Amino acid sequence: MRGFRAEGASAVAVLDDEERLVVARIVADVALLLGADAFGEDFGAPSEAVPEVDDPFAYLRGLEESIREPSDPAILRLLPNAAPTDREVADEFRRLTDAELRGTKVRRLRRMWDQLSGGSHGADSDEWVVPADEALATAAALTDVRLVLASRLGLVTDDDAERLHAEIDLATHALETDDDGALPVDHERVWLGMLYQALTWLQETLVEYVSGANEETDV
Amino acid sequence: MDTAGQFETEGAVATRLDDAWVTIVWNDPVNLMSYVTHVFQSYFGFSREEATARMREVHERGRSVVSTGPRERMEVDVQAMHGFGLWATLQRSGE
Repeated sequence: MRGFRAEGASAVAVLDDEERLVVARIVADVALLLGADAFGEDFGAPSEAVPEVDDPFAYLRGLEESIREPSDPAILRLLPNAAPTDREVADEFRRLTDAELRGTKVRRLRRMWDQLSGGSHGADSDEWVVPADEALATAAALTDVRLVLASRLGLVTDDDAERLHAEIDLATHALETDDDGALPVDHERVWLGMLYQALTWLQETLVEYVSGANEETDV
Repeated sequence: MDTAGQFETEGAVATRLDDAWVTIVWNDPVNLMSYVTHVFQSYFGFSREEATARMREVHERGRSVVSTGPRERMEVDVQAMHGFGLWATLQRSGE
């Protein structure tokens, strides 16, 4: 895996087949959480059938339920309470913004999924190409994916995040030295944690690219 | 223009209380410092220094007031912050 770098008018990272597949899958999972149709269902369909906008009103289905505060903490983190001390303001905000926010987030996730699934570059390229004008939207979509992973990993405070890094270091050491019998390793948690770390690092390099591009235009 | 002016005069008393709302961004363990700084710069038009100072306030003190104005305007700002994955809330100023 290589982080994002400026190449022409794009930011380009390098991920091998398996890495791209894993990231694309979690991106599609987050979109599902937000109420989108499954990404990839049109995979293999004639390419001319891929619509420009993927059913923009799909998220409007079941609108009644989506206006209530989400019970899944991960979704609540994507669509947080806007006024925890004022129920009326919070409900009004959710009523006004829920559908639009879900739509924005799903659209960005879909674009990211397309970039990872090699839409315009051919599926065998190892490159993850993010056009400059989509870089901030992609960074935002990466945030949403990381928020969901963090929620599943129980990261609530800065200390929790620190502890996760220590935990993963310990687990990888135990696995490398074949010592995982002595130290119980929660494989799923370590796997999710490593994915979280990788996406954090990719996002860091993408934000670096976005900020750098900004400074150049400022001069 | 005339109509808008009239509305403003007539609504001034009724909306007076609504004028003092704030948008607050809260600390979380996920958002990167560089990302938060960039979002503050690009959305609120803060200078790099200003954006960095607000980001530090969020990170070190747990929260920062990033905008002030009428409730409707704060709802727009909070929605934008949620769009970027930042944890933002609105409330009456001074609460």
